[in-house]
Amino acid sequence: MAHEVELQTAGNMWKVLVKPGDQVQAGDTLFIMEVMKMEVPHEAPAAGTVSAVNVAEGEEGLEAGFVAVVID
Amino acid sequence: MLEVIKPGLETSIQDWPGRYGYLNCGYPWSGPMDSWSFRLANVLVGNTPGDAALECQFIGPTLKFQRATVIALTGADMQAKLDGEPVPLWQSIAVNAGQTLAMGSARVGARGYLAIAGGIRNPVFFGSRATFNKGGLGGMEGHALKAGQVVPVGEGQGRAGLRVKETARPVIATDKRWQVEVVLGPNDDWIDAAGHERFLTTDWKLSSKSDRGGFRLEGPDWTFTERAFHKLPEHGSDPANIVDHGYPVGAINLAGQTPIILVADGPSGGGFINPYTVPQCAFWKLGQSKPGEVYRFQVIPVTEAQQRARDMAARCTHDSLE
Amino acid sequence: MIYEQPRFLPGGDRFLTIEFGDELNLELNFRAQGLAKLIAQNKVKGIVEAAPFFATILIHYDPDQIGFEDLKREMTALIGTLVTLDDVELDSRLIYFPAVYLDPWSAEAIDQYIEKINPNKKRDPEFVAELNGLEDAAQMVRVHSGTEYWVAALGFWPGTPFMMPLDPRCRLFAPKYNPPRTFTYKGTIGMGGGSTAIYPVDGPGGYQIFARTPVPIWDMSQKMEPFREAPHLLRPTDRLKFVHCSLEEFEATERKCAEGTYQINAVGYQKISLKRYRAWADSLDRNARF
Repeated sequence: MAHEVELQTAGNMWKVLVKPGDQVQAGDTLFIMEVMKMEVPHEAPAAGTVSAVNVAEGEEGLEAGFVAVVID
Repeated sequence: MLEVIKPGLETSIQDWPGRYGYLNCGYPWSGPMDSWSFRLANVLVGNTPGDAALECQFIGPTLKFQRATVIALTGADMQAKLDGEPVPLWQSIAVNAGQTLAMGSARVGARGYLAIAGGIRNPVFFGSRATFNKGGLGGMEGHALKAGQVVPVGEGQGRAGLRVKETARPVIATDKRWQVEVVLGPNDDWIDAAGHERFLTTDWKLSSKSDRGGFRLEGPDWTFTERAFHKLPEHGSDPANIVDHGYPVGAINLAGQTPIILVADGPSGGGFINPYTVPQCAFWKLGQSKPGEVYRFQVIPVTEAQQRARDMAARCTHDSLE
Repeated sequence: MIYEQPRFLPGGDRFLTIEFGDELNLELNFRAQGLAKLIAQNKVKGIVEAAPFFATILIHYDPDQIGFEDLKREMTALIGTLVTLDDVELDSRLIYFPAVYLDPWSAEAIDQYIEKINPNKKRDPEFVAELNGLEDAAQMVRVHSGTEYWVAALGFWPGTPFMMPLDPRCRLFAPKYNPPRTFTYKGTIGMGGGSTAIYPVDGPGGYQIFARTPVPIWDMSQKMEPFREAPHLLRPTDRLKFVHCSLEEFEATERKCAEGTYQINAVGYQKISLKRYRAWADSLDRNARF
C-alpha cells in the first residue's frame, strides 16, 4: 500500500534526506521544512521503498497538504 | 479548563492590545499578529474583543474540553475538527465536556484564532496575559503551550449559532500576493529617491526566517542619502546604522541591507534605521501571510492609517454578527 | 550635533519619534529623559507610553485621543519648559558590577566566530584598542573600566541597558560584527558604536566583546530581592561601575546569585543634574593617562 506524505505546514524546504529507491523504516526522517525559524521534520509513517520525491532542497513558498514523498 | 493534547507548532495565549506600558524597559507588546480575526473570535463567544485567547500558527493544536462551553475559530483555515466533525470558521459553536478539537495545518492564511467563552485565565504579568515566548514571560509558564498542560478558562455567557457577516471579515489572499500599507518614516531621509522608488515597486518575498519577532524580506539592495555615509562614529559603520534609538512596532527595520518588519515580539530599540512603518490596519496581512509570499508596499498618510484602524475596530463589534 | 529645534518623525499610526540631535551626548539623553519625566508628571492625554533613547524619545500615543499634529504641538510646548535643562534633576542609582575583563567566555565566543564565520576577524579586545589609538588590550581594559556608565535607555530585549561612559576620557568607539555572532554568554559586556551593553541572556550578538559579569540583569526566577517586583534589574538613568574581579570571585558570585543569596551592591538614589555633571567633567585632567 502506498503512503503519501503531505507537507504539514506551509514553508520552505530546508533538507531532503531521501531519494527514489531508498529503503526507509517507520519513523525515519524524510525531509525537514523551515517556517518561523523552526525546523519541522517529517517522518515516514511506515517502512517501504521511496517511489517519488516531489520536493527539492531550497524550494520556497510550499503549501501545506502538498504530497512531498510517496512510499510504496 | 482546556487540556493540551498536542501543542501545534507554536500555539500561544495572547490578549489585545497586549503588554502596553513597558517599552521604556524593553518589553515588547506581544499580542495577536492578526488582531482583526482575534477580536472577532472573542466577540463571537461574548467576550470583550481583547480577552485572552489562543493564536495557532501554521500547525494547530489538539485540545480537549473538560467542560461544556462555546468557542469560535477565526483567521486561517486550519481544518479544525471537533470529534472528527469539521468546524466552520467565523461562527460560535457549542462544545460538550469531553470533546476534542483537532486543528491541522493552515491552508488559507497562516494563523488561526480560538476564543473560548469566559476567556483564558492564565496569570497576568505586567498587565497582560499575552505570551512573549522567546522572553519566557506571560502565557503558560512563560511560553507557548506544551502537551499535558491544562489551560484555565473563565466563566462566560457565550451563545452558539452566531456568525460574522461576510463583509466584516478580513479577506485572506489566496494568490500569494499582498498589498501592504506603510507610513513614511521615521528615518525616510536616509534613503535616496532611487531607494524609495525601488522599495515601492519591488515584489518583496517573505523569508521563512520570519517569526513573531520579525518578518524578514528578500529583495534588492538599498541606496542611501549622504546622511548615511557622513556621520559621527557613534552611529556605527554600516550605512544603515544610526545612534541606537527606539523602534516603533511595525517598523521596517533595515538591518544592513535586509529589511525586517518588527512585529508583536520584536526588539524595542537598536542601531538600525527604520525608513517606513507598517500601521496597525495592515498588521493582519502580515499575520496571515506565509513564507514565499510577496508584499507590495503602498504609502498612505498618517491620518488615513489612523482612520483605517478605526474602521477595523468598528468591525470588531457585535454589530458585525448575524 | 544638537539640533536647534527637535525633529518630529512619524512612526506608523501610533508613534512619534522626537530627535533632539544625532550624537552621543549626555545633554541629549537628559532632554529625552527630562521630557519622559515631564510627560509622566503632566499625564499628557493620549500618550500611552514614552521610551527615551540616547538622543531621541519614542512616544506611543492613542490616535483616538490625540492627533499627530496636536501631539507635536503639545510636545513642542513641553520641550519649551525644558530650556532650564541645566537644573533638571534625575534620580540615579549607582550599581557596582563585578566583572572579569579579557575573560575566557568572550574568548570562546570569539574563537567560535573566527573558526566558523569569519577567519579574518581581529580579536575584539585588540581590535577595539587599535581602532581607538590605544597601546594594547590592557590599556583598553583600563579605559573601559575607568568610568561610571550612564543607562541612557533600556531596550532591544527587556532590561538590556544601552550605556554611555560618563568620564569623557573613556569614550570608545567600535563597529558591530557583520555578520553577527551566533552565540554570546549571558552577562557578557561589550560595545558597538559608542554604546556599552550587558547581554541579559545567552544568544546572538553584534557588539565587540571583552568582559563578563556574574551578576544577572534579567532573572525570571526573581529569587534575588531587587528582582522581586520585575525580572529586570536596571532602570533608565541608573549608573553602573564595573569592578575587576578574579575568576574565583566570578564563580563564587555566580553561585550566590543562583541561590538568591547575593547582595547586589547598589548605592541608593542620588540626584544627578547636568550642571553638576559639567562642573565635574570640566574639572578632570584631560591629560591623565589610563
